[in-house]
Amino acid sequence: MQPVTSAVIAAAGLGSRLGAGMPKCLIEIEGRNILTRLVDILSRHVSAIHVVIGYREELVVEYCARHHRDVVLVRNPDYRTTNTAQSFALGAQHLSGKTLFLDGDLLLSATSVAGFIDAAASHQILVGLTDPKSENTVYASGATDGETIRLNGFSRTVATPYEWANIVSGPSTLMDGATNYVFERLIEHLPLPGRNIELAEVDTAADLQAALKSGLATRY
Amino acid sequence: MKTAFCFDLDGTVTTTEILPCIAAELGLAGEIATLTRLTMDGHIGFEDSFRLRCAILGTVPAARVREIVAAIPLDEHLLAFIRERREDCFLVTGNLDIWIQPIVETCGARLFSSVATAQDNKVVLHSILNKGTAVTELRKSYDRIVAVGDGANDVPMLRSADVAIAYGGIHSPAPIAVQAARYITHQGATLCNLLRAL
Repeated sequence: MQPVTSAVIAAAGLGSRLGAGMPKCLIEIEGRNILTRLVDILSRHVSAIHVVIGYREELVVEYCARHHRDVVLVRNPDYRTTNTAQSFALGAQHLSGKTLFLDGDLLLSATSVAGFIDAAASHQILVGLTDPKSENTVYASGATDGETIRLNGFSRTVATPYEWANIVSGPSTLMDGATNYVFERLIEHLPLPGRNIELAEVDTAADLQAALKSGLATRY
Repeated sequence: MKTAFCFDLDGTVTTTEILPCIAAELGLAGEIATLTRLTMDGHIGFEDSFRLRCAILGTVPAARVREIVAAIPLDEHLLAFIRERREDCFLVTGNLDIWIQPIVETCGARLFSSVATAQDNKVVLHSILNKGTAVTELRKSYDRIVAVGDGANDVPMLRSADVAIAYGGIHSPAPIAVQAARYITHQGATLCNLLRAL
């Protein structure tokens, strides 16, 4: 048993598919932006939250100076040429123990996250999964074993009941040296346990509309 | 690995800017605060600004300055962190050694500062610290330098450090300091948690 003690939120990207003109974590949904929703939920479980910033970083700095003074902001000035895995590694540098890595564009269910973080204590790595719904799905394949899903592969083309949810717990060094997609780093560790988590990713305008309808926008 | 922790003083270790407090003695707090702000943001060169501030504030008797400085509040988390490892913590400040002595004694940290003497109740400025040289000096005896600062004059220190942290404890760090940093934190407890994790 090793509980999750820190979280790294990747919020450096351009969010070009949504084209909001601001970091996606600052998109307001039902009166609260995604970052505030994430920080409020995660601060119940972890003692350190690192937010990796890049694109229009000054907006996130200013926002956190006002509203989230207890988060650590980690700058990734190379956000245009690096990917989420590299932001994760940068954000987790100097952290120790078990870390929750997640994208800064996720609307999460608080109870679902609590269940995931509880379960994560018993696994060296635990992969977050969700029902396939985003426009750029990475599918995960495996067999159910109670609430755990024994994962044996990831694919962009072969549809399965599970979508990689861009949230994973593991050692703080999990993403060190990764240069490709996060799920490609996870492939190196297969087989891996996965667990469903109720969430919506806001990658595109359609995702945003779906998230608004999902109910995740109002309750957490 | 031997690590040195370098801290800016004004607005980082202290929870208020020092020079405006001294200026209040002359009824010039607002004016000096404006000058400090312009300097922090890099609109006026640090050295020119500091010479000007010394010329104005140098008329306050040194003994009175020390009384004022002794009453300036310090961030409790940073103070505790520094006291835990006095040997490896350094106050790196453009401020004058003769003015800030009470804080140096309270912290127990080692000091890189501008140097002055008081002659006939007048401040005579001998040298103004370039914070980058403090890091160069520390490299001789440390493997790794961690630097924490908030203003334009901290940039040489932040740029030459191995781990650079822009700190916005009492006001937002200057954009140029943010650009020289890897981390940005906004409160003492969070900053010290990060420092302990390094």
